[in-house]
Amino acid sequence: MKSALSVVPKDAEKRLAQMEGRYRGLLEAAPDAIVVVDTAGRIVLLNAQAEKQFGYLRDELLGQQVTTIIPEGFAERLLADALRSVEDTLAQQIGGGIELLGHRKDGSEFPMEIMLSPLESGEGMLITAAIRNISVRKAAESHLAQMERRYRALLEAAPDAMVVVNTSGEIVLLNIQAERKFGYHRDELLGQQVKTIIPEGFAERLLADALRSAEDALAQQIGTGIELIGRRKDGGEFPIEIMLSPLQSSDGMLVTTAIRDITAHKATEAHLLRLNEHLVNGNALLATANADLEMFSSSVAHDLRSPIRQISGFAKILSQDYGQQLPAEANKHLDKIAHGAKQMGCLVDDLLHLAQIGRQALAVQPTALSSIVAAAVEALLPECSDRRVEWRLGKLRTVACDRGLMKQVFVNLLSNALKYSRPRDPAVIEVGQTTLNGERVIFVRDNGVGFDMQYADKLFGVFQRLHRASEFEGTGIGLATAERIIRKHGGRMWAEALQGRGATFFFTIVPVE
Amino acid sequence: MIGEVSGESGTTETENELLLVEDNPSDAELAVRELRRHKFAKTIHVISDGAEALDFVFCRRAYQSRSFSRPPQVILLDMKLPKVDGLQILAAIKNDPRTCAIPVVIMTSSAEQRDLIESYKMGVNAFIQKPVDFDDFCKVIAHVGTFWLSVNKPPPREAFGPDSPAK
Repeated sequence: MKSALSVVPKDAEKRLAQMEGRYRGLLEAAPDAIVVVDTAGRIVLLNAQAEKQFGYLRDELLGQQVTTIIPEGFAERLLADALRSVEDTLAQQIGGGIELLGHRKDGSEFPMEIMLSPLESGEGMLITAAIRNISVRKAAESHLAQMERRYRALLEAAPDAMVVVNTSGEIVLLNIQAERKFGYHRDELLGQQVKTIIPEGFAERLLADALRSAEDALAQQIGTGIELIGRRKDGGEFPIEIMLSPLQSSDGMLVTTAIRDITAHKATEAHLLRLNEHLVNGNALLATANADLEMFSSSVAHDLRSPIRQISGFAKILSQDYGQQLPAEANKHLDKIAHGAKQMGCLVDDLLHLAQIGRQALAVQPTALSSIVAAAVEALLPECSDRRVEWRLGKLRTVACDRGLMKQVFVNLLSNALKYSRPRDPAVIEVGQTTLNGERVIFVRDNGVGFDMQYADKLFGVFQRLHRASEFEGTGIGLATAERIIRKHGGRMWAEALQGRGATFFFTIVPVE
Repeated sequence: MIGEVSGESGTTETENELLLVEDNPSDAELAVRELRRHKFAKTIHVISDGAEALDFVFCRRAYQSRSFSRPPQVILLDMKLPKVDGLQILAAIKNDPRTCAIPVVIMTSSAEQRDLIESYKMGVNAFIQKPVDFDDFCKVIAHVGTFWLSVNKPPPREAFGPDSPAK
């Protein structure tokens, strides 16, 4: 292999030969490419790293203009530097490396950093340029920058105010939301204690978290947010919820704090609380009103029972003891008094019963409805012993219900059916189950006089009657009672009818599977 | 007030006294009329006030001359009464060894569940809701009279405490 150093022109040969011994080892040991240039811009010396970096053989570069490997503008700079005083040049190099693009022989370029160092010699000023290929560092830097940009973008995109705090409690980073929420400019907050914006108890918490292991801190952040108070630049305070997330960084542990303004949330919460309170109060009032009403109706009903009995009792006694002495007309009046009292007695008892259903707790158990219907029919047979009634009793499923109350439902519905089918011979009364719109229903159907669907909504109202009392007797409480019982069981009751063509009553009830 | 109603002549030697505690005079009259019609009791005492009813049962004040060993064969007790109500009277009777064997029948307009429970827990012998219809009422009175004054065997004298006041 040829000598590592060749020198042109000839008159410099001697001195360069001296230098060779001094610098050769140094130059070749350097990790950077080193090129020595004279004031004319010619390369007078270079090391193996320089050959390698720029892709030339040593001989191809020696004597060439330095602009071959370094961009045009910089070569002038090199010359300019060479013309300055040594002090100036020294000052220049202290400022750190100059970043440039190096040209390889194959035309490719690479980022490099050059450090210049003047060298007084016999032939005048020489300049040593230490050239470092920084493409790896550049790539790493650009990767870092990209990461930071991403992090930054993430931070800025967050809907919450984000503040990154170090272990000293100083704000090192924040997003635009944080600026907006707290009313500060970014620069006003950077380096400030986080206490500036979150005054209470937070800094201590933060430090405690940061002092823990990252695992502990991570576990910590998984819990729900901590509710605190945020303070704006103008002194205004607002409720916040914060989530902490530790971040190990080259500057030590950092804590990313997501700060959510929960003013609206709090307001909603308070509103809900108030609503709930109203509701609770309302319910209590309603319960009281209901209890009062029940108390009233039951006490009125009770207090009415005695006088009614007295009216019917003394009317009866009068007719028994003195009936023969009274004119026929007077006896008729006595009968009317007795009849009126009897009807009033029925009304009062039905009302009491209805009020009782409201208060009564359901004793729900699986019940075969067919057996309940059979019992109800049996109870009603004496009422229709003088009529022809065709009973069509289908098999019904087993449901969860209060047996006593469910029997009441069927007694009332069947008695209603019997009553309004009185003009029919025979009366046909059908009980069965079917499916309507995917819903399983029980029905009671008769071939009686029916009713006008226009008044269907009045069917289950207390004291509501769709027929004149002279046509069909009754208190108007029976259907209301049946409907209340079904409703108390969580079901619905409704009816369909055609005037003169019979009526069908439907209800739903929870089946037992 | 107390009304004593003598039965028809020719009743048996047994002392079948009946005490009716009822504050409504018309109701009392209707009940007494029906009881008399069936000739159930030789004597029917009607008391309209709770405190007086207690005096009667515990043989004190106006009723000092009465004896614990000769109590009424049955007490028909209304619930709503002035001064001391039916449940209090029931409790007093059933909690005292001298009187607890006396059959007590509550007869009331109301049939509140809690009244029923309370009454039975205190040891009432029967609980009747007076029907509002007069015919039904008469039937019930006839049933009660028949059962307690003729069907049912009353407790013997030995069932009642010593014939002396508690205090």
